Amino acid sequence: MIRRTILALPLAWLILGNATPVIGTPLDAPPLARHIDEALDTCLRAEKVTPSPRCDDAEFVRRVYLDITGHIPSAEKAAAFIDDRTPNKRAKLIDELLASREYGKHQADIWQSLLLQRTSDNRFISFDRMTEWLEKGFNANKPWDQMVRDILTAEGDLEKNGAVTYFLANLTPDKLTDNATRVFLGVQLQCAQCHNHPFTKWKQDEYWGMAAFFTKVRLNGNPRQAAREGGTLSISENGRGRPIRLPVSAKRVPPKFLQGEQPKLTSSDAYRPVLARWMTSPQNPYFSRAMVNRLWAQFFGRGLVNPIDDMHEGNPPSHPQLLAELSAQFAASGFDIKQLIRALCNSDAYQRTSKPSAGNPDAAPELFSRMAIKVLTPEQLYDSLVQVLGVPNPENFRRRPGVAAAARFRNLTPRMLFVAFFKGEENAEPTEYQAGIPQVLRLMNSPQLNNTAMLVPLLKSGKTPEQIVEHLYLATLSRRPTDQELQRTLALVRKQANEPRQAYGDILWVLLNSSEFTLNH
Amino acid sequence: MTLVHLSRRDWLKLSAAGVSAVSLSGWLKVLASRTAETPAKHKSCILLWMDGGPSHKDTFDLKPGTKDGGEFKPISTVVPGIQISEHFPKFAQVMNHAAILRGMSTSEGAHPRAKYYLHTGYKEGQGGLNYPSLGSLVSAEIGKPDGPMPNYVSIGARSYGAGFLGAYHAPLIVTDPARGVENLKPMVNGSHFNDRLGLLQEMESAFYREYKAEASADHRTTYQRAVTLMQSKEARAFDLSLEPASSRQAYGSSRFGEGCLLARRLVEAGVSFVEVTLGGWDTHQNNFERVKQLSQQCDPAMAALVNDLKQRGLLDSTLIVWMGEFGRTPRLNQRGAKPGRDHYPRAWSSILIGGGIKGGQVIGKTDKEGATVIERPISALDFLATVCELLGINWKKQNNTPIGRPIRIVDKGATPIKELLS
Repeated sequence: MIRRTILALPLAWLILGNATPVIGTPLDAPPLARHIDEALDTCLRAEKVTPSPRCDDAEFVRRVYLDITGHIPSAEKAAAFIDDRTPNKRAKLIDELLASREYGKHQADIWQSLLLQRTSDNRFISFDRMTEWLEKGFNANKPWDQMVRDILTAEGDLEKNGAVTYFLANLTPDKLTDNATRVFLGVQLQCAQCHNHPFTKWKQDEYWGMAAFFTKVRLNGNPRQAAREGGTLSISENGRGRPIRLPVSAKRVPPKFLQGEQPKLTSSDAYRPVLARWMTSPQNPYFSRAMVNRLWAQFFGRGLVNPIDDMHEGNPPSHPQLLAELSAQFAASGFDIKQLIRALCNSDAYQRTSKPSAGNPDAAPELFSRMAIKVLTPEQLYDSLVQVLGVPNPENFRRRPGVAAAARFRNLTPRMLFVAFFKGEENAEPTEYQAGIPQVLRLMNSPQLNNTAMLVPLLKSGKTPEQIVEHLYLATLSRRPTDQELQRTLALVRKQANEPRQAYGDILWVLLNSSEFTLNH
Repeated sequence: MTLVHLSRRDWLKLSAAGVSAVSLSGWLKVLASRTAETPAKHKSCILLWMDGGPSHKDTFDLKPGTKDGGEFKPISTVVPGIQISEHFPKFAQVMNHAAILRGMSTSEGAHPRAKYYLHTGYKEGQGGLNYPSLGSLVSAEIGKPDGPMPNYVSIGARSYGAGFLGAYHAPLIVTDPARGVENLKPMVNGSHFNDRLGLLQEMESAFYREYKAEASADHRTTYQRAVTLMQSKEARAFDLSLEPASSRQAYGSSRFGEGCLLARRLVEAGVSFVEVTLGGWDTHQNNFERVKQLSQQCDPAMAALVNDLKQRGLLDSTLIVWMGEFGRTPRLNQRGAKPGRDHYPRAWSSILIGGGIKGGQVIGKTDKEGATVIERPISALDFLATVCELLGINWKKQNNTPIGRPIRIVDKGATPIKELLS
């Protein structure tokens, strides 16, 4: 009987636990951060788990740089922060990093790989314009609803509007439906493309009802020709045009919102703006939560709903009330992304050490009793290696077999090739180590990663061996060596007194190949 | 307790139990001696990938004397009644181990989509997933989980990856067989490298003691696998210079020949899946000259591979697959100076050799122009299910994607080719 009552309730209620977001006056970041801690602490008390203590400054500076700017701090920045005596230096650093250009660059990396997947169908499309577009939007802190509307209704020339790449890269209604619902609404609808979803209420009709909104999108131009000979590519939505042909397996249904109404549309209406308005409305039960959950996972290593883009009744949030409140706050703030990040990073929960302590050795990760240990993404790893070793010589890179031709073709950079080589499984948890033997062989044995040119100025600087070792630790791990580490490494330096570059090269090699370097702890 | 089938999570427990206290090199010896105890009973597969789509009418399904039948003459093989192109004389001598499938009929006619489909059994983009390729599936199903060698090696091309199965089953790529695995040798000498490893091991243990991170344990496992590979005698399999000149000669002097020789060495060393790519079959123009030249590279290499495996007693446990992504049009196009053939997925040929099949047969038949399959059509799913069955893989098994979607190894609708089973 109870079961039947639950099934009769609106789906949104089931997924989201509580009511649809109530829009009120938004809180500033500090009270919102306190709010987060109160909600988490209530659960911790109920589970009798004592959280790990506050992390030290070294742990914090490395974490917050990686999470906000996508790379580790330089040795100088790390040392300056650790030695800074200003009381509110953590809050100041968060603000400083959110205002840096690299914030938008890192967000663009994340969103580019969410929005655009490389397939053979889009192999002639460069993703660069989209990356630039995203970077600009995030850095300007464009409200999230506006950004998503701009993506979903993008029109015109690729060179003038990078957001049209979304359609160039996902050119069929089914791809667009899969991606837009997963990425912007946090639901996995794609199973319902071919059959009714096995463990949600999503029916095939609903899938194709959403897909119908994308049936008037047109590509103008030939990507292959444009890539080889130049030429323009553009996207348009012709209200009067006949809807495009769907796959044979498609169900032919009129446009209908997911778990919602069927909007009144005439044959001459453009469909996408109608979809975009519904999707990004503060009243949409999915939209705000999907982004809150995604941002939460970006900083905490797992979502309040996890896996993050699989929100359905069988996968409830760990903290339903908190998710509902943060979603309401995010909507009330006008979808202010930086504000939400500021709140997340200023919480005690974010600033806990990732070391387990006596009170939480086996605590479930969804209690957030210690910081999750995340694996550097390929982009973070590359940018951090560059931070330490300097920019690789493009000449070395071009000489590698097979690379030159491919590089010319899509204007591939060493960074893109590195990222492609290190890219793990698409839906992997951020805490899961993904590299295999080939990747590790490259890290250990490639000339680029054994390049010790950065040592030359250091050796000439008149620094003592202690200071050089300290610099290497700060440059790679953003911390100073422990006494034991210092003694151990200095012994190695003494052993190779005639070959200082080699000795410090050994230390650098070990630091770069350590799991401490490759993890964001 | 056997230590061989340990998952990554088990390694974590092992490390927690104090194994991490042993120095890296000492620890590795423990691993090496334990894995050596297990007999390698599983089958292996060598996929000879004919990139671009070979013309079936000019290789293994000749139609002499018909319209656009082409320039090549058929020759007899050691199996009475089976004829193939005159440019495969050596392969003709080992036809008794092979089955030619002349009824291949698939649905994708563009290179990337067809390659994806024939490698994974799923259409690219279907259901919004990234599917594992055959090599990764074989690695996951019958590969040795913790041996020193990788379970999937791709020679000459990047091929297709592990999709949702994860990086653990991604191919190790060998771009040039003569150069072996990239970055396999350390940049410093052996004892110096061991010093580095020793220091690294200390750092790893200290970090793990404090943070107890699973990712750190996995990191260490992967480093250990890579170092084991670098230092293992099995890794010598990657070094073609160790092969006597006489046996190298049999494979021909082409890079593909070297790739096949390397494949043989890798299978001997226990690798489960090796893919060797021979590109250039996209003969829209100048079809005959190019197919002749490619056939001449392919023929000695394939025949030597079969003979070598047979001689070593490995042919019954090694399935060789010869295929491309589709066939080529029965009609010649006259667009260029010299005639060519275009993409044609509707009817084409593939070959299976060894692996315990009933050899010396032709399965399926096309009409007199090689345009339509008129007997025993074989879909991509039938084909992949057959390969799995021959390798002892339950192709109806479901793998779970990270969000728990069950995906079959081979999708519904496949019927394995029974005639192959001896």
